[in-house]
Amino acid sequence: MPYRIAVDTGGTFTDVVVSDEEGRLHVGKAPTTRARAFDAIAEALAGVAEEMGLDVGGLLGSASGLTYGTTRATNAIVEGKTARTAFFTTAGFPDILLLREGGKQNPFRQMPYPPPYVPRHLTFEIPERVDSDGGVFTALDEGSVLGAIEGARRAGCEAVGVCLLWSTVNPEHELRVGSMLDEHWPGVAYTLSHRLNPIVREYRRASAAVIDASLKPLMRDYLTTMERDLREAGFKGNLLITTSYGGSWRRELITEKPIYTVGSGPSMAPVAAKTYAAAEFGEEDGAGDLVVCDTGGTTFDVGLVRDGEIQTTPETWLGPRWTGHMTGIRSVDVKSIGAGGGSIAYVDPGGLLHVGPQSAGAEPGPACYGRGGVRPTVTDAAVVLGYINPEYFLGGRLSLDAGMAADAIASGVGEPLGMSVEEAASAVLTVATENIVGATREITIAQGIDPREVSMVAGGGAAGLNVVPIARELGCRGVLVPSTAGALSACGALHAELVSEFAVSAFTETGDFDYEMVNAALAEVERLADEFFVDLGDMSLRDTAKQYLVEARYPMQVWELEVELPSRRLHGERDVHAMEEAFHTAHERVFAVKEPGQSIECVNWKVRARARRETPSVHTGARAAESPRAHGAGPDSPTRGRAYFPGFGHVEVERHPGGSLPPGEIVVGPAIIEEPTTTLVIYPESHARVTAAGNYRIEFTRDTPSALALATAKGAKA
Amino acid sequence: MNDFDPVLLAVLSNRMESIVREMENTLLRSGRSAVLNLARDFSCAIVTGDNRLLSSAEGLPVHVIGMEALAQAMTDLHDDIAPGDAFLHNDPYLGNTHTADHTILVPVFFAGRHVFTAAAKAHQADCGNAAPSTYMPFARDVYEEGGLIFPAVRVQRNREDVQDIIRMCRRRIRVPDQWYGDYLAMLGAARIGEARLAELCERYGLDVVEAFVEEWFDYSERRVREVIRRMPPGTFEAEGRHDPLGPGHESVPIRVRVAVDPAEERIEVDLTDNIDCVDAGVNQSVTCATNNAMTGVFNSIDPDIPHNSGTFRRVSVKLRENCVVGIPRFPHSCSVATTNVGERLVVTTQRAFAEARDGTGLAEGACGIGPGFAVVSGKDPFRDDQPYVNQMFLGSQGGPAGPEHDGWVTYGNSVTNGLMYRDVVEVIERKYPIRVSQLRMRTDSEGAGRRRGAPGAVVSYGPRAGRLTANYVTDNHHYPPLGVRGGGTGAASLPRRVHADGGEEDVAPIGGQEIPVGEELIHLLSGGGGYGDPLDREPERVREDVLARWVSFERAREVYGVLFERDVPSDELEVDAEATRRKREELRRRGVNHDCRAT
Repeated sequence: MPYRIAVDTGGTFTDVVVSDEEGRLHVGKAPTTRARAFDAIAEALAGVAEEMGLDVGGLLGSASGLTYGTTRATNAIVEGKTARTAFFTTAGFPDILLLREGGKQNPFRQMPYPPPYVPRHLTFEIPERVDSDGGVFTALDEGSVLGAIEGARRAGCEAVGVCLLWSTVNPEHELRVGSMLDEHWPGVAYTLSHRLNPIVREYRRASAAVIDASLKPLMRDYLTTMERDLREAGFKGNLLITTSYGGSWRRELITEKPIYTVGSGPSMAPVAAKTYAAAEFGEEDGAGDLVVCDTGGTTFDVGLVRDGEIQTTPETWLGPRWTGHMTGIRSVDVKSIGAGGGSIAYVDPGGLLHVGPQSAGAEPGPACYGRGGVRPTVTDAAVVLGYINPEYFLGGRLSLDAGMAADAIASGVGEPLGMSVEEAASAVLTVATENIVGATREITIAQGIDPREVSMVAGGGAAGLNVVPIARELGCRGVLVPSTAGALSACGALHAELVSEFAVSAFTETGDFDYEMVNAALAEVERLADEFFVDLGDMSLRDTAKQYLVEARYPMQVWELEVELPSRRLHGERDVHAMEEAFHTAHERVFAVKEPGQSIECVNWKVRARARRETPSVHTGARAAESPRAHGAGPDSPTRGRAYFPGFGHVEVERHPGGSLPPGEIVVGPAIIEEPTTTLVIYPESHARVTAAGNYRIEFTRDTPSALALATAKGAKA
Repeated sequence: MNDFDPVLLAVLSNRMESIVREMENTLLRSGRSAVLNLARDFSCAIVTGDNRLLSSAEGLPVHVIGMEALAQAMTDLHDDIAPGDAFLHNDPYLGNTHTADHTILVPVFFAGRHVFTAAAKAHQADCGNAAPSTYMPFARDVYEEGGLIFPAVRVQRNREDVQDIIRMCRRRIRVPDQWYGDYLAMLGAARIGEARLAELCERYGLDVVEAFVEEWFDYSERRVREVIRRMPPGTFEAEGRHDPLGPGHESVPIRVRVAVDPAEERIEVDLTDNIDCVDAGVNQSVTCATNNAMTGVFNSIDPDIPHNSGTFRRVSVKLRENCVVGIPRFPHSCSVATTNVGERLVVTTQRAFAEARDGTGLAEGACGIGPGFAVVSGKDPFRDDQPYVNQMFLGSQGGPAGPEHDGWVTYGNSVTNGLMYRDVVEVIERKYPIRVSQLRMRTDSEGAGRRRGAPGAVVSYGPRAGRLTANYVTDNHHYPPLGVRGGGTGAASLPRRVHADGGEEDVAPIGGQEIPVGEELIHLLSGGGGYGDPLDREPERVREDVLARWVSFERAREVYGVLFERDVPSDELEVDAEATRRKREELRRRGVNHDCRAT
């Protein structure tokens, strides 16, 4: 099998993963280059190529495909560097983007109201109105459209997001605005809401349209340049771009809908997790439920795989829930918890310990970075406890000041709580763990998943610090930590399927089911899915699959549940009854109640289309190779050290360099495994087994209380 | 501090909040009526077995403070509470807010003992009132109000519905299927709370959990004590006024007296110097009088303190019998207790703080449930004339300015403080035969100030087919939201009817309208009051308000004293610093009135 390359361009680092002929993974890393993203890719690839006895041109030239993920769009939005965008909306509703759907976090906290994505003075009202049944109540005023085009142009806009009420039911007016834009403002980037995202709820559709439009000029240039650079460097294979929907698309398609690159990095972690789990737990077990954790400096991201399906959500916020901007599109459900390595610990005036959500970030960073940070963080706690080796942090890329960590923990937490510095550090990690446990439990249960029946897959730089107590407290069956945990997103990109979803709104009730309309809708989404496959014609697909779904609800509900259909068309009462039963079951799973015998309302009909390419296997028995340039040389054999564990106090531990452990080796806790991109803490009463593929499976010694319980057992004396 | 492990304290408090959020998520996603599944007019809470409010996550202030009183009624009235029971409670004379808020109480048993109560309270689309509205402002007593009352009645035994109760509701509630769906959603939420609390006791042991509960109350009390200790001592008063209820009615004055005692570490709100109960539906229930005054206090102090029975040891509200904002005398109606006079209680209390000392408290936020928040009803010609009834939350009225921040735009009202969601136009139009023709921010409606109130909105709607009945209880028409410390008043609330020929007519601010096809209701909602002198507002902020169309050029000039190089509504808009300085000097000399004149 030829080489395959995956690249993840993050805000700080660019990760590359290359699988070679034997399926061995080679990982490289380089600082992201803002001016020309390709430079960082070339640098990261250079290390890998050298290891493989090639140069960058040779490596690129013999690669069959390259899957590319980037935070470019996300960063542009955060930094306000997207195109100047106008919003065209139905007259009477110029404040859709301002009002959102309401909601606020704390009722008693006064805070500034967040501005709309497009300011009011770049919002243009178009007299027209379509009703909920698709009838035209007010004809489109084409003169106003011309006026809006002229106004937007004069205001220096480079893009237009168009969202008219009920365009999902009757798109005539939006389409006409589109053709007028083509005619009168040729070349301007625009997005029609019903085309991008045919959902009911004007705010979500409008928000998706303006965000998408605002990204178009930028992402078109960015990706076109990227492709040209790659081609000039010798790349002849297929270029795919990862999406927030947990798959990848052709470059041509993503430049049409660039909003799908927003959050694409985090969405790849569950893809990697699913792949690794399938390989390590066997197809049977791996196809079950997974909790996927990916921890960075500021956040702990949690995703879910249920019944082998990566869970998605229609509600993804850029920024905080309610006060950020909703993307409106269906994306992989990744919830961020403010509990990363940089999260700050403090004791409030009543004596309660909090960890996060404020983060020290990378600058000044944790106190132990010695860059001026004085507030204690999770990373400082891990240094105090002896989990992180100050000499070998990030594979030796950064040396840490253990004294500053201890000072920060002692003054910020130890003194106010009257605890020793170790107890205080342990308390910080325990509270961080609890924040994650609580949020993860909410996320899993909200999807009807019992965390006790799942395995956990963990990646990211800081995950290894407390993934063992997290999984144990949640009651998970075990934990899998890939040896390439630090580059989980890039690994996911390597395995990403080509996935897309197509939906048609066609309302009917099961009590009076409109078979003809529904089957026509299903035929339409099936046609769109087939078109998607045809466009992939030259990509040497292994197989394709279509999943047929309905979004349905009980009468009068407004939030739908997604349920798989029993067949690709519905032909009679039996099919409809089977669909109803599937809905009742799903409703009970998620909401604890069901109403048997009640008819259901079917709102949207969907096909999820997925095409699998030949992807590298993770069964190869080879250790992941690391680019030697990416990190300093570490020790080759275990060293001994001391670490503090709640309930055990200070104990001797072995620190194992990750690369030194052969497959089959069992590392009994307490112990620490140091991989170049992550530190894995094996707590007492758990052990890690090195798998044939060089990953780590952590299991718990049965019937022992969790570390959290031990940490907190003395509460019982109160 | 005692010797309870601080780490476990953090862990278990987090766990409790998490359980409540899970309950809330269940209710939001599975509720049937728009008031629940769109607007989120509900709250969940955990109450201890001995009836103290423990945890309420993101509950609405007006709902959660007082959940303990509901549980108290349950344990007072029943001596045979058993696992598997659930109780339906909506009696405002036994701890509930108002009749339209149905509460499901599920006693949680562990080791054979009733250790917690999981509570889910939700505003109903209909509660069987004499008119199709969940607010009956003119009801002279509970009999005229007409709603079905359930004083903590057992609605499930052994996890099975008590069919008698279900049948009573189905018979008298206008939308029986929708009500039953909402009932299931509330029950599901409470049952989820029950399961999780039992798991928690199993996991940590009852003794640990009970020790946690005591420590959590003590911790919460420590937090609020610490806050009060740092406040300057003083007793201060404010008077507010709800609009007259209609022809022949007086306005309703509200007098709030706040005593802050840092030495004793206590805040008391005294409401006893107020008029007697009125023969109308606006009387406060005990729970509403208490929680609305407390909300005014909590708006004015550190927002991060927990809000539970531990906090309530230090913040109290003094009430008297037979008082419009006190202990109602049966059979007076409290149908509108959660809004209107209740809202006035919140905003008057927070204003008392602001007027006492700069840098604290808030101006008044907009009040009332006018046509923008009407309960709409009718028959749906597109669904075989099936009846519909539901409260809409389409309007948007302005939040109050504070010492640091401008008002919150999607404020809703003072009793929910921005927590509720907004209705979605497309969902409303699909659920009901209604067409919304505009929803936009109302220019020049904000109370001006160094920090300004949020602007209100303008909303218009009418039936797409059939006739639409809208019942509403507007406030701020006669008495718009007051600013503080030199801040201006928000624009008055103006409910109007638009005739088929486009002509507009003022309608009674409190009452109902039946609207045929071709006509509409239009509601110009109030903005919140301002905080501090508008002439002290940073000109750049005024520029932003002008670009947002919240403030007109004229108002920028005459009220804020801000002039621009050129009055262009675009990025080129530039403050003329020198002209602004001169204008502000002139206005200071003249001492202008900057209240709203929006129409």
